[in-house]
Amino acid sequence: MTVVEGLLHGFGVALQPGNLLWCFVGCFLGTVVGILPGLGPAATIAMLMPLTFSMDPAGGIIMLSGIYYGAKYGGSTTSILLNMPGESSSVVSCIDGYQMARKGRAGAALGIAAIASFIAGTVGIVALTLVAPPIAEFALSFSSPEYFALMVLGLALVVLLSGTSLLKGLIALLVGLWLATIGTDLFSAQSRFIFGQPQLLGGLDFVVVAIGVFAIAEILGAIERRAEGQLIPVPRGLRNLLPSWEELKACRFAFVNGSVTGFLIGVLPGAGSAIASFIAYGIEKAVSRRPEMFGHGAPEGLAAPEGANNADTGGALVPLLTLGIPGGGTTAILLSALVLWGIRPGPLMMQESPDVFWGLVASMYIGNVMLLLLNLPLVPLFAQMLRIPMFILFPIIFGLAMVGAYGVSGRLFDVGLLAVFGLIGYAMAKLDYPSAPLILGFVLGDAMERAIRQSLMMSQGDLSILFERPLSATMLAGAAVILLMPLVGRFNRSRLQALQEGG
Amino acid sequence: MKKQIVGGLAAIVALAAMGPAAQAEFVPSRPLEIAVHAGPGSGNDVFARAVIAVIDKEKLSPVRIQVANKPGGGSTTASAYLASKAGESNVIGVFTNIWITDPLVQKEATNTLSKLTPIALVITEPGLIAVRADSPYKTLADFIAAAKEKPGALKQSGGSILARENILRQLLIKETGASWNFISFPTGGERLAALLGGHVDMMILEPGEARDQVRSGKIRVLAQVSDTRLEAFDAPTLTEAGFKIPDLPQIRGIVGPPDMPADAVAYYSGLIEKVAKSPEWKAYLEQNGFRSTFMGPAETKAFIATYTDQLRATLVAAGVKLAD
Repeated sequence: MTVVEGLLHGFGVALQPGNLLWCFVGCFLGTVVGILPGLGPAATIAMLMPLTFSMDPAGGIIMLSGIYYGAKYGGSTTSILLNMPGESSSVVSCIDGYQMARKGRAGAALGIAAIASFIAGTVGIVALTLVAPPIAEFALSFSSPEYFALMVLGLALVVLLSGTSLLKGLIALLVGLWLATIGTDLFSAQSRFIFGQPQLLGGLDFVVVAIGVFAIAEILGAIERRAEGQLIPVPRGLRNLLPSWEELKACRFAFVNGSVTGFLIGVLPGAGSAIASFIAYGIEKAVSRRPEMFGHGAPEGLAAPEGANNADTGGALVPLLTLGIPGGGTTAILLSALVLWGIRPGPLMMQESPDVFWGLVASMYIGNVMLLLLNLPLVPLFAQMLRIPMFILFPIIFGLAMVGAYGVSGRLFDVGLLAVFGLIGYAMAKLDYPSAPLILGFVLGDAMERAIRQSLMMSQGDLSILFERPLSATMLAGAAVILLMPLVGRFNRSRLQALQEGG
Repeated sequence: MKKQIVGGLAAIVALAAMGPAAQAEFVPSRPLEIAVHAGPGSGNDVFARAVIAVIDKEKLSPVRIQVANKPGGGSTTASAYLASKAGESNVIGVFTNIWITDPLVQKEATNTLSKLTPIALVITEPGLIAVRADSPYKTLADFIAAAKEKPGALKQSGGSILARENILRQLLIKETGASWNFISFPTGGERLAALLGGHVDMMILEPGEARDQVRSGKIRVLAQVSDTRLEAFDAPTLTEAGFKIPDLPQIRGIVGPPDMPADAVAYYSGLIEKVAKSPEWKAYLEQNGFRSTFMGPAETKAFIATYTDQLRATLVAAGVKLAD
């Protein structure tokens, strides 16, 4: 079956009225789950799995996958409006998305997030349709040294290009890396930095740290500046509800960047969408003609990571469907759903279960259109939420944050931690430390430490494994260039200055 | 204190062994929760959901049953959760080998399996020692010989060093004098990707995971970690291949909170036994290559006690630092 035949066959399956309905149900539930922090797509899919067993496998997987990619759409809403990331992949969307909202462009930010999600999500599926088998082989060539190099590159892109104070950024980053080491060490099975608290054996959860440092700290700050009256201005008039032409034009490259970066990193089973969104943001900033705008509400700084975390979905399905390898929690639950229907994803799936494979791929094209149509009309509605006076809105945000933290594993301990991280975030803001590098260090730290230790175990302690493998050497060289570039720039500038002064 | 609990447990088990006729019939009136120690999609989560699917299909339970995911610290968050529900009868949990090994290694993990109430042992899972299809090693002996030639150069991918695949590696190393590296990856997907990408040389994986990889010619099975052969795979068991390794099965069973009422223990044990006998369950086991090993509360308790000693001795021999 060629790709065209397969896709036609798939649309035949996906366009059946029942399957269209399931696709919509999945996308709708996904959007809702994405908006609510703490309730993730993996848990939702697990909860609904029993209901789908009586369904035909194609319809079932179409619905469950809809939850998966629909949640990515909804994930940006709370990031933009409340500075509250619901998942690690929407942390980066907070940086410029929330700043846009603070400037009164909340509507525009939500619109850009929806458009970026649609474009990149669709590109991701096109890539999944066309190049799945060869790209899966590429993904297998990645191993621990490459993952380490990729994460070094990500860190270099984001941190060292950022911020007014390099030193404060680095300190925040190191604290973030340290936070990631709390818990049980995978390699020795021993506990680290748990201060005698058995509740810390599992490590800190991302939701607790990020919501604390971002959302709680933001509210504490806003309460202090109470005179302002409103957390963020309510967009007025239709013009402020939609992205302007200039804003969309500024995002042109971000749409492409987000799509390509998101898909390629999504394909790698050990990376994940948080890394994809960080790297897309870093690339966007590195090539931007106005990097100083980033962190102050640059629309392209929202479009790139938001696109990347949606293109990632198409990418993550590549190793799942063609190799039978799930890359993360949500794809693992999709795999187990397929297995319970008696379908094993893998190299033989395309031939043996064409209905399910192509039906799923085709349904994702349809689902993305549905999500765009579903999300754009919600923009004005969500923007109106900002009208709610602070004395009502803040308790709601606190409540959402606490439910999110409690939902992680149902322990009040995590709610206490949330308060601790809220205070840390507040102190950081007071002392003018950037919070994004802390979260970045926390998100990447665990995977990065694992990758370097796995690499060194593979090479029996020889660091040259990082430089002998072409892919990892290239990425490390890239990181070095990025680190050295500002120095060269500074050197040139001072030389020019010296020349001018001399002449 | 410890003695009291153990004594209490023994009494409960003794009561349970007398059978349901000896006491008032327990019927759950509130929704039942099954605690598992990892997130949705993990082996235990899927196992718990499969149990629930059979119970629903056969209409074996008057109340709704839901999975409670308690990930974190290996099994410690989930076992602490069960321990906090002492005396209750509407929550049970799925235990595996790491519920035994975690408390042996981590001094903070104080809720040992022996403090909880054993209800049933349900399945054991055979393992398959596999290499990439284009690997030069045709038998496990080939692999061992190569590992002897270049000590430490060959690599095996796996999970925690407390997991069965590492304990088996240690046993094989002890038995043969060969040595190779064990590289931990947190998810099964990454372990398999490392093998398929040729970044490691060997992996021990589950039959369900291996079947299609073998069928599509991606991997080759060298040996089966199982007391008898699985027909689906053309490879000898470790014993048949000439390796004298004690049988260390990967187990999955059901436990309740400390001091669970005896009638509830008997009820859940009976429920699980009905599941284990159903045709749907047998089909599920067949599909995944699992073995049914149903044991009631008393037998399960005895099994856990012996198995704990066996695992402790193996960990010590492997040089893992224990908590005490």
